[in-house]
Amino acid sequence: MVEIVFLAPFVTGVIAFFLPRNLGRPLLVLTGTLHLLLSVLLWIRQPEPLFKSYFAVTPEGMLSLLVISLLFFLISIYTVAYLKVADIKSEHIFTGSMLLFLSTMTMVTLSDHIMVMWIAIEATTLASAPLIYTHRSSVSLEATWKYVLICSVGIAMALLGSVLITISMDVGKVDAPVSFSALTAVATRLDPMWLKAGFAFILVGYGTKMGLAPMHTWLPDAHSEAPSPASALLSGVLLNCAYLGIFKTNKIMLAAGLGDFSGPILMGFGLTSILAAGTFILKQTEYKRLLAYSSIENMGIIAFGTGVGGLGAYGAMLCLIHHSLIKSSLFLTSGNILLGYGSRQIEKTGNLVKRMPKTFVAFFGGFAAISGLPPFGIFIGELFVILGAFKAGHYIGVTVLVVSLCAIFAGFANQAMKISFNTSEATIGLTEKASLVWPQYVLLLTSLVLCFWIPDSLYQTIMNAVTIVSGGF
Amino acid sequence: MNIPVDMTLSLVLLSVLFSFGSSRLPGLIKVLAFQGVVVSLVPLIIGHDMTGGGILFTLATLTIRGIVIPLCIHFAIKKVAIRREVEPIVGYHASVLAGLGLIVAAMAVSHRFNAPSISTSVLLLPTAISLLVAGMFLLMARRNAIAMVLGYIMMENGIYLVGTTFSVRALHIVEFGILLDVLAGVMIMAVILQNIKQTFDDVDTALLRTLKE
Repeated sequence: MVEIVFLAPFVTGVIAFFLPRNLGRPLLVLTGTLHLLLSVLLWIRQPEPLFKSYFAVTPEGMLSLLVISLLFFLISIYTVAYLKVADIKSEHIFTGSMLLFLSTMTMVTLSDHIMVMWIAIEATTLASAPLIYTHRSSVSLEATWKYVLICSVGIAMALLGSVLITISMDVGKVDAPVSFSALTAVATRLDPMWLKAGFAFILVGYGTKMGLAPMHTWLPDAHSEAPSPASALLSGVLLNCAYLGIFKTNKIMLAAGLGDFSGPILMGFGLTSILAAGTFILKQTEYKRLLAYSSIENMGIIAFGTGVGGLGAYGAMLCLIHHSLIKSSLFLTSGNILLGYGSRQIEKTGNLVKRMPKTFVAFFGGFAAISGLPPFGIFIGELFVILGAFKAGHYIGVTVLVVSLCAIFAGFANQAMKISFNTSEATIGLTEKASLVWPQYVLLLTSLVLCFWIPDSLYQTIMNAVTIVSGGF
Repeated sequence: MNIPVDMTLSLVLLSVLFSFGSSRLPGLIKVLAFQGVVVSLVPLIIGHDMTGGGILFTLATLTIRGIVIPLCIHFAIKKVAIRREVEPIVGYHASVLAGLGLIVAAMAVSHRFNAPSISTSVLLLPTAISLLVAGMFLLMARRNAIAMVLGYIMMENGIYLVGTTFSVRALHIVEFGILLDVLAGVMIMAVILQNIKQTFDDVDTALLRTLKE
């Protein structure tokens, strides 16, 4: 019964729409705990799904599911504390959408059928749209509109891509289930032309959702307008879900021997995203948008690494996990800063180190980790991506990558220093309660621990996920 | 050659031209509703899907694409008394001309593809391509937010048309899931449209430009 993992939050999500706020908040934490338990059980037992043609437990899906589950659990604890201080009018819609969002994302990680994957990813857009509009302001309305329209149109492209892949089965006279695992097994018999077209459309489609430039325009708006717990989910795990769609399609391409086609395209989109993010990070004036652009940068690195293959693919997987942990922690911290200073402008903040010392620890730790300072995981991931690219001989690409990373680091550091140490006259409107900082600490610590010690089963899962991509380096 | 199918598809192509020429939203919605009905009938006319479940599914598609989705948008307009012009960026005559060019180009391009499932009808692939590009065109060439949603629906219709060729293999439950997603998406867009109208007193997307770098 694999399906129960996404059915449980779905049911509680629907219930939450009808609950008063004093019951909705505990339900959020309760579901988070239940989901974490179920995911761990799934990890240990690896049971068979009830509907085998639609769902499957794959290593890459399992990794994403664990990350989602851990993140949601911690975010739900933070959310309860956040909701007590933040002014959110229709809280039942917020909690209900959070739970439905969790359910749809879980469904993405478990789906194996190409179309079910599409259904789940489109459903994540729909479930998260109310979250972005939580503040009911005209700018958040604009962000929601952009998000729903751009992502829906983008994902429609992915639907077309999925249909084209089924046509490639038709032309190649392949009779197999339309699922990622079955198609990877028979990939060589698929018609290459239609498969290539399908991959291109799927990359553009899910790439829109993943925030790859130039389709990223919705991302900074949505991530900065959503309340911080929702931003943490959007940035930490939703982007991974979209990446999962690309990753699985890329697997089919590699199995079909079309890696020469998919690799350079992925690398191209990756570099474009890194460059675009770099440009906007350097002159950014709002810290939540800064974090959003940093997500685009990291997604660029991940796409680049996946395109490189080999060591790069392993590095991309590491970046994916660590980016989720660190970026969600940073977004939660940005929620504290917003509650404290009451503004999203960097210049309205300052002297975080004295004003909000506990938040400062989380913020600065997160900044160091996301910028790729050693010994954090992003550093190791980026190192593998760069080494992999050198090994494969993509010298120009890797030069662009390294130069942009340096520029981004400089830009990000400049802004982080302003927030942390600039003088500020602002009055802080927030007491730093434990549940407003501990979730961030735990996320950062998890990331730190994973750099030095990866449990064997986790390492094996990562290796299983990237075997076909890396070809065993 | 499959004459009934091609005749139906030519109606769809005609609806593309009409949609490019229509200046008023109610008219545009009617064209889209008509297109939805015709597009959902195509699998039935191709005739590879005459089981009980298949017919039931076709009827469900027809109800959703041809009736529920257009009604959704119709009510969204009615409730908030939105101005009825589509506010074009590209003029109507130029649009119709572009539409004609698009159909010709789609015909020329689709001759170069060959797939057994598509070759059941000469017009199937050109129509699907035309719908996709036409939807994109409406998204870009109209400033009215409702016209943009209609463009999205037209794109979806095009994808559905390509999808019908493989519906032999696809399971109806999966297609139904896709349909539900599209429906829910349009409903959410309709809700956002109402909110946009209440907040800005207009649905001109030029007003939605505060968030940018």
